[in-house]
Amino acid sequence: MEDFIARLVDDLDSGKINRRQFCETLALAVAVSAAGEAAANAAPAQGFKLIGINHISYACPDYRKARDFYTSILGMENLARADNGRETRLMFGPEPGKGGSFLIPRNGATTTRAKAAIDHIGYTIPDWDETKLRAALTAGGLNPVEADGNLHVYDPFDYEVEIAGGAQDGAFRR
Amino acid sequence: MDGFVAKKLDDYRTGRISRRRLIQTLTAAASAAAAGSATATTPDPALKIGLVNHVSYTCPDFRRAADWYSNLFNLDQVGASANDVALPFGKKGEHPYGVTADDVPMPYLVIRTPDPNAPVGDTESRRRSRALVNHIAYMIADFDKARVRSELKRMGHANPLADGDHSFHIVDVNGFDVQISGIAMTALSG
Repeated sequence: MEDFIARLVDDLDSGKINRRQFCETLALAVAVSAAGEAAANAAPAQGFKLIGINHISYACPDYRKARDFYTSILGMENLARADNGRETRLMFGPEPGKGGSFLIPRNGATTTRAKAAIDHIGYTIPDWDETKLRAALTAGGLNPVEADGNLHVYDPFDYEVEIAGGAQDGAFRR
Repeated sequence: MDGFVAKKLDDYRTGRISRRRLIQTLTAAASAAAAGSATATTPDPALKIGLVNHVSYTCPDFRRAADWYSNLFNLDQVGASANDVALPFGKKGEHPYGVTADDVPMPYLVIRTPDPNAPVGDTESRRRSRALVNHIAYMIADFDKARVRSELKRMGHANPLADGDHSFHIVDVNGFDVQISGIAMTALSG
């Protein structure tokens, strides 16, 4: 801004612009600058800042079968105190409260009036090694199918589970 | 049980798990064992899920749904095709919340509309699920109950349903249940 005003003064002194033009130009510059700063300091236009998935609510005929699958095959951690005979909580990822998520398998209705459905969930695992993964999944009685570099399996209720690997397996790969 | 405890202690001593995680894990396992339940954490699973990679959402009009989620969570839309679009939870190059490693992808929502011209084989190859994901809880930064309620109402959600002190339920443009929570809502918190 300082350089701009200096040049404006030069123009005035040299007669390139008159006083009125000087004042109008300066007023316009100040208005534009103020608007820019306000925009830069503003909060996001609208909406909330999404930082992750908190939990997934999964209804099925027998939550115990889902619990056993997701703990034994995918390494989720059952929270025993939440396991009440109707549902439980399976933790995964960072620690609770620090980015960790959980799956809630529960006995419940598997029909919905919604016009949308979550047809599958993809999970990231560290240290992607397809040979090792295939062996582990096969040992668990599953038939992993590769698609787009990731592995797909079905859980005990034929719900599709996708297992993805490293940094290339994100939205920006598409 | 002994081998499981030894393994967890090794994990703790080598820094693979925190003191808090050790205590939580052993408490859960001990509780399950004491109850004679088969719900103890399975030791040494072959895989260990780290994060949600993506949530695949199918609906009649993916553009309309994508705009709804973009507006609610201020999300960008990337990689659009004729049938789907991805909405990452953050900007390219950012780390997922709670993660410091550089090789971990941002989670994303992929919103699709089935292609009516897709080969029959594609649709037949997918099994018909007997389970249903009946809602997803999305975690937002700086959750403040009054502010979130006010913002939801401003956005046209007349009656957001409070669920405890740290979340609300609303329905999306397709009638799907969407929960909005703060980080204080955890598996351990209720």
